[in-house]
Amino acid sequence: MAYEEALQALADPTRRAIFERLRKGPLPVGRVAEGLPVSRPAVSQHLRVLKDAGLVGERKEGTRRVYSVERHGLVELRQYLERFWRDTLGAFKAEAERGRR
Amino acid sequence: MDAGRESGIEALRASVTVARPPAEAFEVFTAGIARWWPLRSHSIGEARAAFCAIEPRVGGEVYEVRDDGQRFSWGRVLVWEPPHRLVMSWHPGRPLAVAQEVEVRFTPEGGGTRVDLEHRGWEKLGEEAADARASYEGGWRTVLGTHFAGAFDRRGA
Repeated sequence: MAYEEALQALADPTRRAIFERLRKGPLPVGRVAEGLPVSRPAVSQHLRVLKDAGLVGERKEGTRRVYSVERHGLVELRQYLERFWRDTLGAFKAEAERGRR
Repeated sequence: MDAGRESGIEALRASVTVARPPAEAFEVFTAGIARWWPLRSHSIGEARAAFCAIEPRVGGEVYEVRDDGQRFSWGRVLVWEPPHRLVMSWHPGRPLAVAQEVEVRFTPEGGGTRVDLEHRGWEKLGEEAADARASYEGGWRTVLGTHFAGAFDRRGA
């Protein structure tokens, strides 16, 4: 379930904290990690999970990588869920009406 | 019930009408779920998902079974009112603490049934954060209230 990936990513409190920081604007990994009770490699790992889930984007700015919230990912999550229930209800209708057309 | 609306996170809704009376529609939806649920694409095991079921009682488990026999919980039955209403907690592949809710209503319409589904309780994702010390200015609720509400409100259905 693809949308579960986004929800799963946000279920972790540290990742939510990271996501929250990025909400205020794009940041390099060092700034994201500031004051968080986890190591910088761990922060990078969390950023990767958020990125894989389509919630965070990454771009290169000179020698550093800058991360930002991928608003598009949230819209996609919504669309995915709408499609999810449309598909399942469609399959349900086909089964319920099977053989009596 | 409408906590989702109060917190400003719009519930997701989908409907379908079937040419069957509510009792039959409810039966197919629940007892017959393994016959129609698109397991290949809508499950945890995907290609390896073999079966799914709703245990027909309050507290009953909603689950999927993989081809190696391993069972994955999707949620629990919270309201069991055949043939009118079914409410399940909903957390496929995720901790119970962040479970959402799925309500399915069966309403007679013409000779058939209108089935209305509501997927709600997105604020559950924020409860963990709300319980934790308020160390993150803004707080998770703000994220949910802006990003999620924004994304989830931008819908046509």
